[in-house]
Parts: sequence; C-alpha cells; structure tokens
Amino acid sequence: MTRPNRMILMWLCVCLCVPGAVVSEALDMKALVPRETPDGWVTSGSPQVFTKESLFEHINGQADLFLQYGFEKSIFAVYRKDSGRETIDVDVYDMGDSVHAFGVFSRFRQDNHPAGIGLDSYLDDDYAIFYKGKYFVVLQADESNPSGLRRLAKTVESRIVDASPPPKEIMYFPKVGLKPGSIEYYPQGLMGRQFLGKGFKATYVPSENKASKENTGDEGPDSNLFIAVFDNTDELESALESFKEVLSNGKSARGANRALHGLKMVTGEDAYQGKIVIVHKGRYLAGTAGFKSKEVAEGLLADLMKKMD
Amino acid sequence: MSKRIGRRAFMKGATSAFLGLATAPLVTGAESFAGKAEKGGVEYRSLGKTGLKVSTVGMGVMNCSDPAVLHRAFDLGVNFYDTARVYMRGRNETLLGWAFEGRRDKVIIQTKVVMSTNEKKNRATVEKSLKSLRTDYVDVLLAHSLKKPSQVCDPKLISFLQDMKKEGKARFTGFSSHSNMASLLKAAAKGGCHDVALVSYNFTHSNKLKEAIALAAKSGIAVVAMKTQAGGYKAAKMGGLTPHQAALKYVLMDRNVSTAVPGVKTIEEINQCAAVMGTLFSRRDANALQHYAGYLQGRICTMCGGCAGECPHGVNHTDILRVAVYHDGYEDDRLVREVLHETDLPAISKRCYECSSCAVTCRRGLDIRAQIQWVNRVLA
Repeated sequence: MTRPNRMILMWLCVCLCVPGAVVSEALDMKALVPRETPDGWVTSGSPQVFTKESLFEHINGQADLFLQYGFEKSIFAVYRKDSGRETIDVDVYDMGDSVHAFGVFSRFRQDNHPAGIGLDSYLDDDYAIFYKGKYFVVLQADESNPSGLRRLAKTVESRIVDASPPPKEIMYFPKVGLKPGSIEYYPQGLMGRQFLGKGFKATYVPSENKASKENTGDEGPDSNLFIAVFDNTDELESALESFKEVLSNGKSARGANRALHGLKMVTGEDAYQGKIVIVHKGRYLAGTAGFKSKEVAEGLLADLMKKMD
Repeated sequence: MSKRIGRRAFMKGATSAFLGLATAPLVTGAESFAGKAEKGGVEYRSLGKTGLKVSTVGMGVMNCSDPAVLHRAFDLGVNFYDTARVYMRGRNETLLGWAFEGRRDKVIIQTKVVMSTNEKKNRATVEKSLKSLRTDYVDVLLAHSLKKPSQVCDPKLISFLQDMKKEGKARFTGFSSHSNMASLLKAAAKGGCHDVALVSYNFTHSNKLKEAIALAAKSGIAVVAMKTQAGGYKAAKMGGLTPHQAALKYVLMDRNVSTAVPGVKTIEEINQCAAVMGTLFSRRDANALQHYAGYLQGRICTMCGGCAGECPHGVNHTDILRVAVYHDGYEDDRLVREVLHETDLPAISKRCYECSSCAVTCRRGLDIRAQIQWVNRVLA
C-alpha cells in the first residue's frame, strides 16, 4: 500500500471509530460561525466566545437564566452584508444537552412559527431561534429580513453535527387541544413549585375555553398538563407528599382511592392553579392543572399515560 | 464579617427597620387571587421622590415560571415587579402583563430598554413592551445595563427618557447597572437626571457602593437593589441554615434602598422573601450572614485570576479551585469530570498537596491550601 493510501485508510478508521459525540466535542465553537456564507454574509471582526464566567458581560442579567439551563459556552458573531447596511447578530449557545437546549428554546419561543430549522425553530421578521442537539441558536437582524435570517440559520444548522434527538417527554403530550408551540421545559420550579423540580409543561385550550373566547373574547386562564421528572424515588415521594399537603390545605380534596389508567390518582384544588389531578408513573409525576372539566383533565392525563407506556 | 455587622450597625438597622414598618395589608380578601386576605405586615417605603409607595420586597420576574407565583406575590402584598424587554424577548413581560390584567393600578411595573443609537428603534422597543405588558404606561422605565459614568447623563438618553415621560409611556425613568455601580450612582447623583437606579447590592459589597447608594438616595434617586442573595448555596448543604432571608434583610436594613427585587421562581421562594417584610434584622440573622460569608469565603473561588502565576513551581492551581466550586457549590460533578478530562488534575493536585511551601495567597481570604487538600480527598 502506498503512503497516501495508507494515510486515507488510517483517516477512515479514525472517522469510523470515533463516536459522533466526540467529533462534535472536537469541533471548535468557531467552526459553527463561518467567516463567509454562500449568501454573501461576512463576519465583522472576530467572533467572541463566552464562558460561564463571562456570559454576564454579553447578556447581563439574562445570563442567570442560561446558567440555570446548563449553559456551557457560547459564541457571538456579527454578520454584515452590502457594505454593512444589513447586519445579523448570531449567538450559538452550547447548553450541554438537547433537553436544556430545548428548554431554553422553549422559553424564548414567542409563538408557533416554525421555520423547519434544527429540531424546532421559530422565525419572525427580524428574529429567528432554533435548537439542534445541545445547541441553542439565536439570530437577530437589525431590520426585517426573514429570508436572510432563514438562510443564515440554515448555514449555522448545517455546521452542527450533534444529532441528539429531542427530549422524549415532549412526545408524551396528547395533540388534541394542545396549544401549538406551548410545551416548555423548566430545570427547576416546574409549575412554580420548588418541590416539583424539573419537568415539562404544556398549555391546553379545551373546547370550554374556546367557547368562552367566542363569548367574551378571552380564553380564560391556561389549563396545563405537566410532567415532573425525578432522578430517584425518594425525591419523587417527597414531592408527592408536598403536593398532597398543598392540595389538602384548607380542607380541599385529597383523594388517592381512584385509579387512572391503572395508577393511583390524587386530586384536589390549589388556590392559584385550580383543580389538580396527579398520577405517579415510574420516575414521573404527571398532572393537570386548571381544567374546569374533570372529564377533560382525566381524559388527557389518561392519553398521556398511554403514550408513556 | 463581624466588622460589617457590628453591634452598633445592627442596632441602628434594627431600629430603622422597625420605624419603617407599616402593618396594613395591601390586599383585601376581595382583591386576592386566592380569595382570602393574607395576615401579617407589609413594609412600604417611598420610591425616591416619585411619590410611589413600594413594598420593600419586590419581585425580580425574569426567572419566574408561572403566573401562580405572581399571583401569590400579589396576595402577599408585593407591589413592585421588575422585568425587561430582553428577557426572553418580551415573553417575560407577557407573563407579567397577563398575570395582572385587570389589576394594573394595583401594581408598580418596572421594565428596561436596551438603548441603541437609533431612537426610532428604542421607541419601537418601548411600544412592544407596553403591548406585551398589556398597559398604556409603565411606572418605571430604565435604560438597561449602563456601564460607564459618561452614559448616565448622556443628553440623547435623557432626551429619550424625558420624551417617554411626556408621552405618558413612562411615569418615571432611570437606569440599571451591574458593574462600576458606585461610579454610575455618583454620576447620577451629580447629574440629577434620573428617578430610579437599579443596582446589584448585597452583603458582600464594599462600603464604596454603600456610600454611593447613600449619595444617590440623598439626591432623590430611588435605589432598587437586585442580586441581593449573593450566591446559590443550598440551605441543606449548610446544616439547614437559610441565609437568604438574612441576606435580604441585610439589604433592606439600608434605609437608602427603596425596595429589593430578588429573583423569584417559585411560590416557596416568594413566601420566603415576602416573610422578610416587617421583620427585624436580628442577631441571629447577623450570625447567619457571618456564617454564610465565612462559608463563601472558605469555599468560593470567584476565579478573579488574582492568584494566577503566583506558584513558584509554575503549577496551574486554579483548576483545583475550579473543581472545588463545581463539586461543592454547583453540585455538578459533570463539570468536575470535564475539568478532569481537560487537565491532568490528579497529578497537579498531588503535586500541590505534597508541596510544603505554597506561596499562593488569595486576596479574598480563600484558604488555598485547604482547598487543595479537600480536592485531593474528593479525587481520592
């Protein structure tokens, strides 16, 4: 075998042996923001890298939110076109894993305007966000430029090799009545309760609320389905006890004798979130909050349980 | 720390706090979100010269996850809420606006605009804020995160803020700052062009900032304190000690502070914060803070870089300190593994551990030798 062939073979072996994640790790953040794009966008100055310690200098107090979501590092680049008349700021945040990348994306998403970029995305006139793998990406144009944003976002997306799937829990939420783009992930304080810790929340618009909107122009308060995720049984049981305590406060109902989808169900009323139904399955506490109709709430929860099977 | 909260300061603060107490609850049963009035006192102070009366404990809304937390805060008498347009690009304002729709006149809303050189853009940003907040006006509009004293009374900034007032979009205006705060406050006090200043302020800050806050307050500027908790150590890790209330009380003990806006995520947190209103800074609180400060001093490396390069043997000991913070402070061993992956830490740590002539000193009083020994034990 000639020397060049041997080199190619060795390179191929390395490529096949090294897992994707390692390749991704090896990719420098700077590789995610090319100097030039096929559309003619060119970076202005050197991209800036921020760490846990320095993120504050870039986005001030909002750094706290990113740190809660597991922020690792980020890169910021300003792209210019047409002699600097148009600019787009690009931030690529490494959030550690796809759950946290989804989480921070879910907090920034304004509504449901997906753009088909990454695992999920949002695009409007001067702003685009998406997440792919462990990366959360924000693009901000100085003027309305949705097509420019889309193309630049696609360029950055193509450079992200992390192929991690989205969090599986988001697939558990039943589609019927689900407000599009409303699933969110919180790393702590789910449903505004410390004891629930981390988990997912989605907003539902049941038909009763839609009817209310037709009459009064207001859908009324949100009705939510939530999934709290626990790392161990002790934490889960402690949270369940805390929840029961909240629900039994003021002599509200505290039932554990009915079953839903073969699982024990706890129901009650919270002063701030209305009627609550909770079930425990595996490492999850799933529940509904604020539904006026018991049947609708329990029906959705039963659907969610089935999807967890 | 004992120097910070001596007997005289403690007594002075306690007396002032007592005199500032108003016991009338803000929320009646009919207005309450939960349908019942809360017992207990709510402490109010004047927001500088604005004529507004604000609860001494306000709420930093940025990290809030649920309207239920805002409703709970309202029921506890909290009437001052801080947000910003850039927080989740307006979604935080939307949460606040939705939560208090129909009760706008019962709450005081402060938001911030990141100033650009384009006035049209600034104006559009304020309009977006008002739309998200579902209101025609904000009570306080701040220029977000000023950094240099020269920015404080910049004519363009002042002209814009004045216009917002004239147009009825903001009742009062000011600025926020995270760095160089003492200089900015002094410039504001001298310039007399702001109603409100939002600054980081907690028990770890120097007298220089305290004096600047006093100067600003004397000139009529309302000082709103943020980042009042100085760190994220968990009570369980500190033998059940809960220093966060003490830290909040410490800030409020300074009568030059109109209100504090601790960041709140959950109902439990707002319960804990609001309970501070109407209570005195006690000897026990002083002890708790002393303990907390000692705990932070003994454990936290702020990674200021002040000790870098001090080892005569050229050992990069800062990685050891980083591991200590990650393991003990953040409780995130994933980060520890990362440092281990990046560096030959066990070798560095062993070399440091075996060295009998450590010449590295920390300006913040961190016992570096103890840190090295501790990390060695963790790695073992």
